[in-house]
Amino acid sequence: MRHLIGTVFRKELRDHFRDTRALGTAVLWPLLGPTVFLVMFNLMASWYRQDRPLELPVVGRARAPSLMAFLERYGAHLSEAPADYEERIRAGSLDAVLVVPEDYAQDFSAGHTASVHLVVDSSRNQARHTIERAHRLLQAYGQQLGGQRLSARGVVPELAVPVQVEELDLSTPERSAASVLNMVPLFLVLATFAGGMSLASDTMAGERERGSLEPLLLNPVPRGALVAGKWLATVSMACGAVLLSLVAYMLVVRRVPLEDLGLKARFDGPAALGMLAAVLPLALAASAVQMWVSTYARSYKEAQTYLSLLMVLPMLPGMVLALSPMQSQTWMFAVPVLGQELLAGEVMRGEWLGPVPFLLAALSSAVAAFVCLRFTTRLLSRERIIFGRS
Amino acid sequence: MIEAIHLHKRFGTVTAVEDVSFSAADGVITGLLGPNGAGKTTTMRMLYTLVRPDGGTARVDGVDVVRDPEAARRALGVLPDARGLYPRLTAREHARYYGELHGLRGAALDARVAELVELLDMKDIADRRAEGFSQGERVKVALARALVHGPRNVLLDEPTNGLDVMSTRAVRALLRRLKAQGCCVVFSSHVMQEVAALCDRIVVVARGRVVADGTADALRAHTGKDSLEEAFVSIIGSEQGLME
Repeated sequence: MRHLIGTVFRKELRDHFRDTRALGTAVLWPLLGPTVFLVMFNLMASWYRQDRPLELPVVGRARAPSLMAFLERYGAHLSEAPADYEERIRAGSLDAVLVVPEDYAQDFSAGHTASVHLVVDSSRNQARHTIERAHRLLQAYGQQLGGQRLSARGVVPELAVPVQVEELDLSTPERSAASVLNMVPLFLVLATFAGGMSLASDTMAGERERGSLEPLLLNPVPRGALVAGKWLATVSMACGAVLLSLVAYMLVVRRVPLEDLGLKARFDGPAALGMLAAVLPLALAASAVQMWVSTYARSYKEAQTYLSLLMVLPMLPGMVLALSPMQSQTWMFAVPVLGQELLAGEVMRGEWLGPVPFLLAALSSAVAAFVCLRFTTRLLSRERIIFGRS
Repeated sequence: MIEAIHLHKRFGTVTAVEDVSFSAADGVITGLLGPNGAGKTTTMRMLYTLVRPDGGTARVDGVDVVRDPEAARRALGVLPDARGLYPRLTAREHARYYGELHGLRGAALDARVAELVELLDMKDIADRRAEGFSQGERVKVALARALVHGPRNVLLDEPTNGLDVMSTRAVRALLRRLKAQGCCVVFSSHVMQEVAALCDRIVVVARGRVVADGTADALRAHTGKDSLEEAFVSIIGSEQGLME
């Protein structure tokens, strides 16, 4: 029996490794998560860098000393604007330039509305952040002054401000970075499905489609052994995908300034082993479900369609967890997919829950795998499955 | 030695095989002849254990196919209706895979596969991947894997279907060779000429029943017709399916 399972296992892997296209997809999928991770963190790090002081070149600084003092007090770096500033703004090398007109001082002293010009190019997205900040500072100055003038005339400034809008920006770099980090367990779980997908399609549905299932079943081999060999081959592809994904994460994490973003995440050796212990048992169940579903399909393509839909399954709890991490409860670890995503998340955050959740998650996956394999084996006795070809 | 004993099979309300009994002796080529839809393929599938009869049974070298299908499969070499190959495996790897599934290993397996490559004249395709094989080459590979364990009983479902003259001749030569080795060979066909050219014994199946059983001469004598073709028409009661 062991020999037979080994024979089927080796044949399936050899066959699969010769299918370069399927193998390429199997390799690309697990790398998707780390790539998203790398891109997102670099983006966020660049947003973070935008919290540098506001650089604002000014034309006619001397004409508005109190405005300049105000701007500098609130962190703006003022400089003399170059003569060709309009050209530069259009070209994008300058974000915005403040122009203080000659009659500013005169209007200001007379108590008229004095105008300043903020020269910008609104079609440039990159500059938007700088423009908004400059705009906000200038408005604040105007309001402060207006208030002072009203007070001086014995009017309570609040009268002139019936409604005040205060914006609360919840998207701090920490929060967005944490939500990307929370995607890691989801992508690891996805890898357990993505890795074995094409092998599972080929080994059951493909076998039916080619008409090679009937001759295969003519060998004096228990159907359970055939299913077991094919399943083990699928499982090893899934495990390979998880390993690949994890290694890619660990390489990426070194290039990402996690601490700068104020994040607490562990990606060292023990953490990696913990994540493997959390996620790998799921490969047993994921591959078994894929085999079972694939047996119903009459063709490789049909199986691929079903199995792609099946991948939505881990995405649902994964997305929920990534967007709003919840307090884990013991029963949750016994739910395949959900349990693994929770566990991997806890390991990544450096929390140790003890061995029980790990055992619970592994056991539930093993049971699910066993049930699916039994169903698959039983399907192989059905005449409709053996002979039913499209 | 293959014996079919009152085989009966229904699919829903359709009766595919009503009552088929015959026995095929060792060292003899037995042809299962009948028009399309007569129940030949279903009968074959019951003999090679992939369809479970609703009534009756069959024995392969005395092993009951219903009670011990695995042992029956061990004693059988089968070329089924479906001859799918793995496009990314070579011809030799196909034979090796099935040999290993039959428990062959090491030098014995190597020797047996080499023997089959020789026997089926597949030297030029032995180490090529099956992708792009011609119909004749595919049948050779399917035969090689069916015979890799050296079975004493060989079942072939329409073995020459879709083959050109050269491949057909090669298959016929192989069947004669198996017969000379003392194997029990049963093959099904709806082509009268095919059966007439090869078979020592002909079992005619129509509408799920055996309607005649004997040598070509006996069938002619029984019906009083001079040609085998006339004899078949008379036995089956129609000309359906006998012309090709």
